[in-house]
Amino acid sequence: MTLDHTRPLFIRLLLLAFIVLVPPVGLLAHGALGEFARGLVPEMDKKAETVGRDLASSIERAIGYGIPLDKLQGMDEFFAPVLAANREIRYLAVTDRDNRILFINGAMPELLTPYFSVTDFEGGGSRKSLIGDFVNLAQPLMSKGVVVGHVQVGLDQDYVQSRLMEIAVDIGVMTLCSLLVSVEILLFIVTFNVIGPIRAVSTVMDRVRRGDFGYTCGVISDDEVGRFVHGFNGAIRHVDGLFRRLEAYMDEIKTAHFDKTVVGRVMDIEARVRFLFRFSRTGQPEVINEHQATDIRLPLFLFVFAEEMSRSFMPLFIRDLYTPSTGLDQEMAIALPIAVFMFFIAAVSPSAAMISARKGSRRVFLIGLLPATVGFFMSGLADNVFDLTLWRSLTAIGYALVTMACQSYIAQAAQRESRAQGLGVYVGAVLTASICGTGIGGVLAERVGYRATFVLAAALSVVAGLLIYRLMDAAQPKAEPLSPRKREFLALLRNWRFFALVTFAAIPSKIALTGFFFFLVPLTLLQTPGYDLGDIARIMMMYPISVVLLSPLAARLADKMGWKAGLVAVGGLIGGFGLLLPVLSGDFNVLGVSIALLGVSHGLSASPQLAIIPDICWTECRNMGQTNVLAFLRLAERVGSVIGPFLAAAFIPIYGISGAVIALGAVVLGMSVVFALLSFAYGSGPHIEAELAE
Amino acid sequence: MTSRRPLLAALLIALTAMAIWPSGAWSAEPKPKPYRIYMALWRGWEEAAQGFKDYFTNQNIPVELIIRDAGQDKSKLKDFVAEAKRLEVDLVFTWGTTVSEEMLGRLDTVAADKHITEIPAVFAIVSQPLGSMVKDFASSGRNITGTTYLVPTETQANLIQSYRPFKRLGVVFNPLERNAQVAIGEFSEVGAKAGFEVISRSVDLVDGKPNPASIPAKVAELKKAKVDFLYIPPDTFLNVNRDILTGAALEQGIPTFAAGENPVLTSKAMFGGVYRYYTVGQLTAYKAEQILVHKIKPAEIPIDAPKRLSIIINMPVVRQLGLYPPMKLLGLAEVIDPTEGKGK
Repeated sequence: MTLDHTRPLFIRLLLLAFIVLVPPVGLLAHGALGEFARGLVPEMDKKAETVGRDLASSIERAIGYGIPLDKLQGMDEFFAPVLAANREIRYLAVTDRDNRILFINGAMPELLTPYFSVTDFEGGGSRKSLIGDFVNLAQPLMSKGVVVGHVQVGLDQDYVQSRLMEIAVDIGVMTLCSLLVSVEILLFIVTFNVIGPIRAVSTVMDRVRRGDFGYTCGVISDDEVGRFVHGFNGAIRHVDGLFRRLEAYMDEIKTAHFDKTVVGRVMDIEARVRFLFRFSRTGQPEVINEHQATDIRLPLFLFVFAEEMSRSFMPLFIRDLYTPSTGLDQEMAIALPIAVFMFFIAAVSPSAAMISARKGSRRVFLIGLLPATVGFFMSGLADNVFDLTLWRSLTAIGYALVTMACQSYIAQAAQRESRAQGLGVYVGAVLTASICGTGIGGVLAERVGYRATFVLAAALSVVAGLLIYRLMDAAQPKAEPLSPRKREFLALLRNWRFFALVTFAAIPSKIALTGFFFFLVPLTLLQTPGYDLGDIARIMMMYPISVVLLSPLAARLADKMGWKAGLVAVGGLIGGFGLLLPVLSGDFNVLGVSIALLGVSHGLSASPQLAIIPDICWTECRNMGQTNVLAFLRLAERVGSVIGPFLAAAFIPIYGISGAVIALGAVVLGMSVVFALLSFAYGSGPHIEAELAE
Repeated sequence: MTSRRPLLAALLIALTAMAIWPSGAWSAEPKPKPYRIYMALWRGWEEAAQGFKDYFTNQNIPVELIIRDAGQDKSKLKDFVAEAKRLEVDLVFTWGTTVSEEMLGRLDTVAADKHITEIPAVFAIVSQPLGSMVKDFASSGRNITGTTYLVPTETQANLIQSYRPFKRLGVVFNPLERNAQVAIGEFSEVGAKAGFEVISRSVDLVDGKPNPASIPAKVAELKKAKVDFLYIPPDTFLNVNRDILTGAALEQGIPTFAAGENPVLTSKAMFGGVYRYYTVGQLTAYKAEQILVHKIKPAEIPIDAPKRLSIIINMPVVRQLGLYPPMKLLGLAEVIDPTEGKGK
């Protein structure tokens, strides 16, 4: 996965967008947060006072019945729900007339006793004082007109800070998404309107420099670039016209001139001209269209964006749809649409690749959008699990068609450069879409609900279709049809190195992705108190972000150090270890770290997984073509995508949701260990020579 | 929702009447024919009967109540059956286990000549209707329906636990009444799971009758057995002698929990978790309305208890024992505290 040629441009545009977008957003956010903080403090005081008064009146009622203040019962159960419902309240306490703590919940009494013993709470009404990190509000307890003690409500001073932090993170995430979206759009505009035409011009110019006037640029935009290209084409046509006139004049001389020596000279000149310059035979210069991998980047980005929008809440949505009457366990019901989605992608992709090679990417892209859009839209209207599974399968078929169309377009457009660079465009678009789609989808789901989010996804996919329809011309680069036989693929599996790579590296990494990340993560995170949909989405963004950050590094390492099998093994081990992290640390709040580690794992191992293929399947690559071997790896690893959700679902009834993460982690780590051990043997034993001899 | 329809109907009739006879003709307003309900009571007019009656008043359903009190005399009930049949009433209401079983018949003994079978009937304050009066709470399988008034045993046990965790639950019971024994059996079952033990003592019989004078000694025995709570089962004999029972418990310093409201409201039981009779009466009237107004067959109306549980705490007893209720329970409870002059 070497970086594509648009990367410097991408970075420059990112910088530009950053400069334009971030300072004003930062300034606005700063101002808004300040305002918010100023408003929050009195609100918190008011709330603490209300809570204090409510508690005091309940306690006063009890005292009124003759229960002595120090004999109040069940104070822990009495305080606990109040503390749970008000995150800013850190402790609740009752003190007697001598400010001794009788009951306390949420903080150590030793911490407060020194403060209470020297504070005078006497005097009517509630009193606010600062105690260490807490703001303490004392509410007097009255019995028969006498103060008998106080209810103490402790507010966390850091609460305002942590709330502000949360909001700042929100703003940061949204800014990042807008930044990436604007860069994608800028990149598209720049490459489509400027770079593409300029390249076409430079190609034509190149030919002109070699004396070939038989080509013009096929750009028909109405801007400065278009006018320039138009003028440039005009110049070529003018030269072509001049040549025609010259040709006609020379023909006239050749046929009609009386002096044979003149005719001979003219024919010499004509031969010389024809030798030095080339003109279109028909008089109609051929049109050159520069196809670039980046042309398809924005539509692809939008489409993947649409799909990724449901990433963070898909299992939660399915759980809401679930009714026990379906005859399925809840876990299996949740796994079903996710796994079926993966299955259809796996099943349709190979034929989708062949269809797009034959019918042209543009048409296949548009055809694929139809089921995908219907699938998105109807998923939003689904009212049971089977319904949803049906519509998700439709989306999956569309997804396979669209992504394959994009891959084949990119492969053909990038032929002149390297395929790896083209792949970089594809992966780049998918990953940025994944970051933005996950983040924005979660926020949308929180604001407008799951169903409306699906409808928006359908709308986005329509926009992607319009872009393709309006902007990409019908003329497509032709592809060489490739159709290797199935038996050859099976022979691949007899190569133990390839088999080990598929079974113990590629498949477990997909199991972790679909079983853990797609399925268990949203369910687990929702169990964590205080997490809403937006938070879940933000945590899930960690995955594509760490893939984005690490992939280039891993690719460079793999290229420079040639340490490919090692990187794959290390990546797998890190991913498995990440899943087991919650059990090692005994805390499920580290799930964010697990997700990031999964991203690290896939970022490290994905490109070496592909890069290692020419090394370990040397003969097969020569016989079948490297592209086909890679395609087979992609197909085989999808077995993992399909079984991942089912495996996770099978673990839930046995170990619970949190336990399922651990169990899945154990499976992934176990397989990764096997690969790591096998990878030591990759360099030894009968290798290329022996296999060649077979 | 269903209850609004008769109200609207009545309103419509009233409006129409006013439109036809604009002034001074109110006496001519035709009254809808009232439903005739035969109310057979066991020990006089009390809360459940009041709740039953008030429901019809509040819902504006015209009823004519034919009220008969057996005065705890079983022999009168045969005459009640005959009278209800003779009067051809629209519905029969029976109060208590004895009245209901005698007038409506048990599942195994019901006979058309001895019991009311043709006229639909509703029963209330029957301790254990399942198996004796009805086949199933979802449907009686007969021309009757009704309400239960006992809080499920498990709920009662949880309620006691939430006041104070306990290991031993003491019960004094009348060996001649079935209700208490059923309750003891159920508590033992719940206790086996929840980890408490039920210790029971039956009162002494003199001439085949339970002797109230033996109650304090039984309570003292339970005290020796170190019970944490005394449970007062739904038992007529104990209900009648509630002052002796709760007084003895208080003397021994044993907190008491009552399954009925009387020991707490009018005697010295410490607390109780009950469905108030008044609410039960209203719910029974609601079922009568289903039969009379909406013409639903009694067998199609499930037998259930009110939704809202009443926790009653007897504050003077609490103070005397010094065993204060937890704040959460106190917040939910209805507090009886006559000395403070605040009933709530």
